[in-house]
Amino acid sequence: MKMIRNRLAVQLQRHVLQMSMSTNAAAAAAPAEGAAISEFRTAVTNPGEHSALQVAKFYTIPAEQKKQIFAGGGLPKQYEQQIKTFTEACLMVRNPALEVLEYIKKADLSKPVVRYLLYGENGTGKTLTMAHVLHYGALNDFLLVHVPWAPNWMKRPKEASNAAGQEGMIDLPFDAAAWLVHFKGQNSKLLQRLELKTSKEYVWSKRESTPAGSTLLELVEHGIARIKYASETTAALISELKLLSTAGKCKVMVAIDGYNAFFHPVTRIFSDNKQRVTPDKITLTHPFLNITRYDWTNGVCILSVDKIAMTEGHMDSYMPRYLLGTEGFEHLDPFVPIHVENYSDKEFHSYISYYLDRHWINKTPQGFEEQLKFMSNKNPYALMQLVRAL
Amino acid sequence: MAVRVFGVNLIKTNRNLLQNACKTPATTFGHTAVAQLATEVTVQASPAAVQKQKVSKAMRAYLKRANEHDEFMKTQHLEFQIGKRHLANMMGADAETFTQEDINEAISYLFPSGLYDPKARPAMKSPEEVFPARKAAEFDETGRPFHSMFYTGKPNFFQLLHDIVEETRKLADLEERMLRRGNKPDENQKLEMSGFQLLPKDQLELVLVESIADIEYSNFTNSMDRLIASPYAYKSKAFIERFLKPLLDQSKQLEVPKPKIDEQGRQFITTYECLRKTARADVTIRLPGTGKISINGKDISYFEDENCREQLLFPLQFSEMLGKVDVEANVEGGGPSGQAGAIRWGIAMSLRSFVDQEMIESMRLAGLLTRDYRRRERKKFGQEGARRKYTWKKR
Repeated sequence: MKMIRNRLAVQLQRHVLQMSMSTNAAAAAAPAEGAAISEFRTAVTNPGEHSALQVAKFYTIPAEQKKQIFAGGGLPKQYEQQIKTFTEACLMVRNPALEVLEYIKKADLSKPVVRYLLYGENGTGKTLTMAHVLHYGALNDFLLVHVPWAPNWMKRPKEASNAAGQEGMIDLPFDAAAWLVHFKGQNSKLLQRLELKTSKEYVWSKRESTPAGSTLLELVEHGIARIKYASETTAALISELKLLSTAGKCKVMVAIDGYNAFFHPVTRIFSDNKQRVTPDKITLTHPFLNITRYDWTNGVCILSVDKIAMTEGHMDSYMPRYLLGTEGFEHLDPFVPIHVENYSDKEFHSYISYYLDRHWINKTPQGFEEQLKFMSNKNPYALMQLVRAL
Repeated sequence: MAVRVFGVNLIKTNRNLLQNACKTPATTFGHTAVAQLATEVTVQASPAAVQKQKVSKAMRAYLKRANEHDEFMKTQHLEFQIGKRHLANMMGADAETFTQEDINEAISYLFPSGLYDPKARPAMKSPEEVFPARKAAEFDETGRPFHSMFYTGKPNFFQLLHDIVEETRKLADLEERMLRRGNKPDENQKLEMSGFQLLPKDQLELVLVESIADIEYSNFTNSMDRLIASPYAYKSKAFIERFLKPLLDQSKQLEVPKPKIDEQGRQFITTYECLRKTARADVTIRLPGTGKISINGKDISYFEDENCREQLLFPLQFSEMLGKVDVEANVEGGGPSGQAGAIRWGIAMSLRSFVDQEMIESMRLAGLLTRDYRRRERKKFGQEGARRKYTWKKR
């Protein structure tokens, strides 16, 4: 009983804190941009300007940009909760993200696309690295082709039905439509500005078709309205994007989290004959495999491979060769591997200061930082879990 | 052996006096053989005056039993000696210098046993150890008891109580006299009782060769306490010390190993055989270090659970060595919590070499240096688990 009461008290306290913080948010935001910047924060909110100077410092993603990019996913759920609690979307500038940004900035986009592959242990910050790069992409007129978590399609699809056109293929209409919504949300402004047109007519059925020369936005909206054709629309959209970017009309940034799910031996989807299907039998897989080939230009691919995208028995190593398998590795070869590691001492200290600043850590007995370092092994996710109770 | 019997002393003292006086009679009792073996059970000789009297039935029966026992012990002893020689030959050792320790080693080597209880494993011990000591005759050949308290049934115990009270009285008298003279007890000679305790019941029983009841033991402790509480207790120090047992400081007893130096010039200590449940580990601690942990080649992410990591954290944090030493561990067997417990113990044991005596003592008090002997409890038939019963349902 006592513990429960204590916990309640803590929750109440936090609640009150949040309230007070949200009321002060406007007031707090002003000095954060101005003079009163803590040593663990940076005022540079444009990822394009981040350099080694800002390593291990926090930058804030402005609320409207966060809403535009990450409304449909892209930040881990628990990080999202933390953002809500802290009333600010802060990301730490870390080396892997800087490395990718450096490559992208220096890359010659007229050459075939370069695939960057983020890999690392569980909870080291692959998704947040990707989020950092996505933020850069959104600010620098890249069309974002972003799959927040690919294994969702293989592991817990909303609905699976047989594909109309292709024999033996499985459609995930709701998931495809949801992705189209996500795509539209991220890119609608840019699409309106660029006015990209389709190159050919797409015939969906006897009565429905999208004529050549209609805008991509129309194509996407059709997919969202006619959920039955969402998967095909996705495929059409992605092939159009490849054509358009090769033609130099737009820049495309592909970001797929949990990319290795496309090469997993089985999915949890059952076909008509009650057999588990392989990912290549899912219509949604092919467009995303298609866009990660190097046969187009004017784009970048940021992919991540993750142990937890796999299922039991396939989670022994976090290395790309193991997670992708022969087929996936050959599909991606050559790529630029980017290792995402645990925090360095500086980053760790910075994160602790941030938590202290947000009053998330209340108990600070002597040596608590050392103990947290020992317990979490400087793993970002483990640290986040540990400080929940402090 | 010396502690065996109080009553025997009487007979022993008589023996020398009387051996010259009587050479005729007792040969019928196997006297000569007994003298060599000296198991002190038989009455060696009896007063000449008594000889003429009739030997009582009880005495006769006793002597018969005693003789049989002596014979038995004699053969047992011979067999033991022969067995020891055989064993020494088998092990290729010198039979003359073959000790009991060597015997134990040889037996556990020749008859390896997986039995859990050490008492159930094969053993070879001298017959004195195997067969408990018996009381010698408490009465003479006419059947008259030697001891005035024979009929209490526990003469040695009541004699002891009697002695204690006598000592207490003596001290009280002394105190009285000293008071009258205006002297005070010597503070310097005061009896130091810290670090000592009275003999526990089972040990006292061994000394007395009598089994005593709990209430009798408490009578003993009470009267001893009264004796010790006297300001002049140091006067009967010799008497009191016969019934005291020293308490030892545990962590002083455990010898702390000296750290060795590795090729990088760092001090290190390796503790082997760190056990917990079915996990086995060996742990190496290096000083100075940076707090690096390596368990079977992995870092602390070897343990996924928070509580297992905390287990490793505890000794380091407690001794304030967190971040100052490097830990390397090899561990196998058991599950995560057992392995974490084994490594924790290993870390704590190794850290002793790098901290001061005070810290070692507080580590001991914190239970860090204590081996956790708990094992999984077996499931019982007719029950759901070790303790839990099946759900009882009326019908």
